[in-house]
Amino acid sequence: MKNIIEIKDVSFQYKGSEEGLLNNVSLNIAQGETVLLCGASGSGKTTIIRLINGLIPHYYPGEYSGSVFVDGHDIKNTELYDLAGVVGTVFQNPRSQFFSVDTDGEIVFGPENIGLNPNEIRRRSAMVVKDMNLEKLMGRSLFDLSGGEKQKIACGSVSALLPNVVLLDEPSSNLDWDAIKDLKNEIVKWKSEGKTIVISEHRLWYLKDLLNRVIYMDSGEIAGEYNGDEFFAFTDSKIRGLKLRPVKIEEKYIDKFSDISSGQGALRNFSDYGDSIKLKNFYFTYKRRPYIFRKKKLSANDADILNLNMPELDLPKGKVIGIIGRNGTGKSTFLRCLCGLEMDCTGEIIYRNKKYRGKDLTNLSYLVMQDVNHQLFTDSVEAEVLLSMKEKDIDKCSEILERLGLLEFKDKHPMALSGGQKQRVAIASAIAAGAKLLLFDEPTSGLDYSHMVKVAELLKELAVSGSTVLVSTHDPELIELCCDYIIRIDDGKVISSDFRNCAMDLHTDKDYNLDNRLEEDNENAV
Amino acid sequence: MDKKKLTAKDFITVGIFTAIVFVVEFACGILGFIHPYIVASYVVMIPIVASIPMMLFYSKVDKFGMITIMSVLIAIIMFVAGMGFLGAPLIILAGVIADFIAKAGDYKQFKMIAISYAVFCLWICANYFPVIVTANSYRKSLLEEGYSAEYTDSLFRAINSKTIWVLLILCLIFGYIGSYIGKIVVKKHFEKAGIV
Amino acid sequence: MKIKLDPRTKIYMIFVVSAIVMMSATTPFLWGLRILTTMVPIALLIAEKRYASALRFFALYISALILTFYFLSSESTGLIRALLTGYCGIIAQFLPAFITAWYVIHSTKIDEFMAAMQKMHVPDGITISFAVVMRFFPTIKEEYGSIRDAMKMRGIFLAGGNAAKMVEYRIIPLLFSCVNIGDELSAAAITRGLGGKVKRTSVVELKLHVFDWLLILLFSIATVIFILNKYILL
Repeated sequence: MKNIIEIKDVSFQYKGSEEGLLNNVSLNIAQGETVLLCGASGSGKTTIIRLINGLIPHYYPGEYSGSVFVDGHDIKNTELYDLAGVVGTVFQNPRSQFFSVDTDGEIVFGPENIGLNPNEIRRRSAMVVKDMNLEKLMGRSLFDLSGGEKQKIACGSVSALLPNVVLLDEPSSNLDWDAIKDLKNEIVKWKSEGKTIVISEHRLWYLKDLLNRVIYMDSGEIAGEYNGDEFFAFTDSKIRGLKLRPVKIEEKYIDKFSDISSGQGALRNFSDYGDSIKLKNFYFTYKRRPYIFRKKKLSANDADILNLNMPELDLPKGKVIGIIGRNGTGKSTFLRCLCGLEMDCTGEIIYRNKKYRGKDLTNLSYLVMQDVNHQLFTDSVEAEVLLSMKEKDIDKCSEILERLGLLEFKDKHPMALSGGQKQRVAIASAIAAGAKLLLFDEPTSGLDYSHMVKVAELLKELAVSGSTVLVSTHDPELIELCCDYIIRIDDGKVISSDFRNCAMDLHTDKDYNLDNRLEEDNENAV
Repeated sequence: MDKKKLTAKDFITVGIFTAIVFVVEFACGILGFIHPYIVASYVVMIPIVASIPMMLFYSKVDKFGMITIMSVLIAIIMFVAGMGFLGAPLIILAGVIADFIAKAGDYKQFKMIAISYAVFCLWICANYFPVIVTANSYRKSLLEEGYSAEYTDSLFRAINSKTIWVLLILCLIFGYIGSYIGKIVVKKHFEKAGIV
Repeated sequence: MKIKLDPRTKIYMIFVVSAIVMMSATTPFLWGLRILTTMVPIALLIAEKRYASALRFFALYISALILTFYFLSSESTGLIRALLTGYCGIIAQFLPAFITAWYVIHSTKIDEFMAAMQKMHVPDGITISFAVVMRFFPTIKEEYGSIRDAMKMRGIFLAGGNAAKMVEYRIIPLLFSCVNIGDELSAAAITRGLGGKVKRTSVVELKLHVFDWLLILLFSIATVIFILNKYILL
């Protein structure tokens, strides 16, 4: 079969950076193949995607040698806009890749750019909408869509240019389980149309049965090449040896954790586990009744409009608590109410016999946001931590930084750090402010295996040192590794909550053997 | 590839910073509702606050046209937002001159950038033009009908064809001072973080 | 009844209303004309089914007019009255332009603006930048919302009353976010062909309908009468 992508002896280094270095990489991909690029962060997956779509060298300059041909075009000598109808790319972040404000405009954006006749554009747009089942999303503002819906529109926008080659750069990073299944369907569709597909990805389970070939990258080199079925037959320990996310068990976990009907665990007696934190009257709604009734306090009687409905809830102190549930069921709302961001929320927290409500909650709890960039304000890590202290105490600050492994970066600008380090700076400032409840919103979205494990370890350590950690997540491995307690939320209500034994407690040798764990679970279930 | 030609990325950069500058302008503008004298103090407030995004913007400008386009966009938005059309040519004029001044410094010499920014800030005064034109005919019509000048309200007292020269000069001065403040902030944050 | 106006008509409308706003009315006839032109965007808002805002604008405009006339015709002076006259004067003077702008912004999609600009032979570069501005207003709103939340949690919302810090804590994270989003947006847009040499096309079809011509005619006549009456026939 004809090779549609030919990468020949390419070495590349980004300008002014040592990251993303490629070392003499050669790769041929045949027409109609579906290929996965996997490997740890910084192994060069994304760089290869950029070689194929021409962003390297036209958008990201650097030191470049070798040659890349895609569908007969010499990438180095082809302008990016001439590649628009040849290669299409779906990017990682659904928020930043759309150009228009509404969905209709986004689908026709590409064809308009390449100057197609309006009738032809309309024909294509109608075709894409029909093929990809986008009818329900048409005519809406992109700012009102969920991440998954935005990603669907991004796929549609790429499709409208009818590219022969489709690239996906970590497309599932910000998606929940249902949205990943939708994404899978898009890929299946493209595959059936005979397009050549290259996917760079951390989460692997959803690609099962789709791949012809798997390219394993390590430190800028191709370190392994497998046939798709062969790769998915690997044992999980072998996959983990490659520092990859598992190919099989994640799906099983998803079934296990997303099954709402199971585990009607009654609230257990907390006395075995030490103190509890009591939550009372957490009611909140976004659908406020007319303005005149605004002063009225929400209560359980308003059940029909409540987005959050938790009359009473006990949380174990000093544990890692996982909050799970489908998208849009109130996980984020719950976290926002807990840290006092929703002023209309009526809830109060009783912590060590002291009542916190309304504004006081900001002193008790602190939310580490999904996009941590929003909560870093100063020009050095040290200043960031000091900002949180009412009485500036340099020694205490150093102590906190030391604990989080940030001391060597204390004079650096927080924005110059890596994602994981930024997360820790946010945690440091929360601890400095004396927060007892640390809340995390999807802390591991888009992370590779080893970074995810690091986050799990960090959460565990925080809990061991006395903080209570609440983490809202779609990452089944994270739950498995570090959560001591699980709360399932549906429709704003807690539908079940239960203790569980997490992998990190059982296996101190840091080889958290998830295979065995799952088997044990299965036996218990039987 | 023609190095001097503007690329899609440049157009997007211009769009982003125009949006930010406009939001800054709008945020300061809201304060004007408190008292009309605050409207006159825009010439101090906006050049200084907007200097932070603008100095970051200047660090990304390397071709002729980006500053001009920004002024055209501001003119369009001001027009659509109901601020009249008299200001538009003046906004664009300020933008073109600012672009030439920055170009003379090859978009690198800070002295030129500071002057360029000061000139660019004159667009803020364009907001006053409808008020000035109105003020003249308003005052005249009041006086004609025999009312004392007391009735011409404080907005028209603060901004009229006499005070506009003072406002223009203040705008230049604070634009110039602002550019230094902006430069310090850009250095403190964006250079330190390694994105400039 | 839904009236779909061509964006070019709307632009013309803004032009005329801003002109009339700047020429102050001196005779009852001119006042009548001004009020009449102000009623057009309010009527259009009603046609757009934006009843609440139409009513609000109408009430605000009428009460400002009444107060202005009342206080201006009474002999008394005094601080409160002077202030009130001031505010009402400003409202009566500039609200028509504001209503028109509000109507245009809320009834026009960005694609339509872009298509109109293309039709009027504005260079592609400016059209693209304009689209980015429009896309970034909601983005800035979203990002600023998150930053504000973060500030509340840190207890630095008012930065201890330090104005410089208040500005810094807001604008720095906002700029970092916007620059990041901008970089990713550029990459995504360029791979979909933005910035090519070919002239962009648009699926939005623009055509001046009967109603457009009618409004253009109406506004033109109003302007001419206004100018004639005020500057030439006097």
